[in-house]
This record gives sequence, structure tokens and C-alpha cells, in this order.
Amino acid sequence: MKFGRSRQASRTMEVEITPMIDVVFLLIIFFMVAAQFARISRAELDLPQEKGEQEQAAEEAGLVINLLADGSIVVAQRTVGIEELLQIVQAEIDRLPSGDPRNVKLLIRADRNNDTAILNDLFNRLQSLGVGAARLATEVPR
Amino acid sequence: MIDVTFLLLIYFMVTTVLARQEDRLSPTIQTEKENASGESSDFQPQVVQVLLMDGKPAYQLGPSTFRQKAELRRALESLPRTAGVFIRVHNQVPVGFAVAAIQAARDAGFDQVTYVPAK
Repeated sequence: MKFGRSRQASRTMEVEITPMIDVVFLLIIFFMVAAQFARISRAELDLPQEKGEQEQAAEEAGLVINLLADGSIVVAQRTVGIEELLQIVQAEIDRLPSGDPRNVKLLIRADRNNDTAILNDLFNRLQSLGVGAARLATEVPR
Repeated sequence: MIDVTFLLLIYFMVTTVLARQEDRLSPTIQTEKENASGESSDFQPQVVQVLLMDGKPAYQLGPSTFRQKAELRRALESLPRTAGVFIRVHNQVPVGFAVAAIQAARDAGFDQVTYVPAK
């Protein structure tokens, strides 16, 4: 009789939800942190509506330069002048192990209604630092 | 608590998916001074001018002028891709049109696209 009871008890399964809650909390933290990081480096602006290069390989964003519609330059949520921006880019170049300005990764997020005079001026100044390429951000049309 | 946690998870997942999807275009940069250095090459690259004509943005490729990106892409598709293409962007043109010209060149199959800021 005693033996029979213990066999029945072993058949009942208890669902362990603690690991599931842990995983769910980790996922929430991940999405919150990801959303926060995206907000820090990317200012709100109207990007050119183009599909871009559609490359599957994830690439490091590098230094994100935002060119707003009013002509101001924003880097990491801070409005900077062109001279200060060049100092930031130079510091980015100095941080590279090779020190080669051609290897610096820049992502320029320019408002599509912006005048290209600002972009042209920026490109001319970047060229004088030895930067040979930059990536222009686009918004993929839905 | 589990209900709230799941709702939070769904909220963050949905907002991440609905966030605007971004991509990028990677032209090389060349200034006009460098461009006019007289370096000889067997291949002469095509130059697309992005400029304002009658107050409206236009793309100029040789003698042809286009108003639409699709027209420019079709014209570029018929050109040899070996020497690449230069996108010479004049001031006062909205950035969107300059980026559209780079996109048209990429869509036409050019790997070597160079942005040249006009003086």
C-alpha cells in the first residue's frame, strides 16, 4: 500500500517556471538596452528613402554623424561645430591600431531635405584628414 | 507578475520590429582638386552631375538630363562598369537627390561609386 502511493506521486509533474522567468527578464533587458543604444547614437531625422546596399553581413556602425535639417551636426546626442567634429574624427583615427584614416568607419545620417552644401563641406574636410570613404544612411522604404 | 512581464516583452519586441529599418550606401570620396590632378587612365569614368535646373533637382549624364532616378538608372545600365562612376553633387541640391543618384549607380551594377563635392 505504501509502495503504491509513492509510485503515484512520482508520476505527477511539476512545471518549473523559474528558468523561464529568468529568460524572459533577460530578453526584456536586452530589448530595453538595444532601444536605448539606438536612441543615443541616432537622432530623429528624415533619411533618404532608398533601399541601400542590402548587404546581409552586419557591419560596425563606427562614428555616427547626424546632419539635421536645420544644418546642425549631432554626435552622440551632442551638437558640435564642424571643427569639433573634425577633432572627434581625428581622435577616432588615432584610436585605430593602424592609424590609417582610410580605415575609419563613419556613418553619416543626413536629413534628406538638407542642403548638400553641408555634406559637401563635410566631405571636403574629411578628405583633407585622409578619409577616403563614408557610409550614408538610408531608410528602407516599407 | 508573469502577465506584466510577458506584456513588457511583447511591447519591446513589437517596438523593435516597427522601428524604421536603416541601410547604407558606401561611396568613396574624392575632391575635385584631386580629381583634376591629371592622372592618366585608360578608362574615363562616367560623371553624373546632380544639380538644380530651373530650380528643380536634375541628373545630368553627358548631354542627357533626367529628372527621375529610374531614368538615370536605365541610362547608367547601358554604360561600361569598368571605370566606375563619379557622382558630382552641386550645392543647394537636397541630400535625398544626391543619395538617389548613388543608389541608381549601385542599382545599375556599378561597384565603384565616387562622391565628388562640386566646388
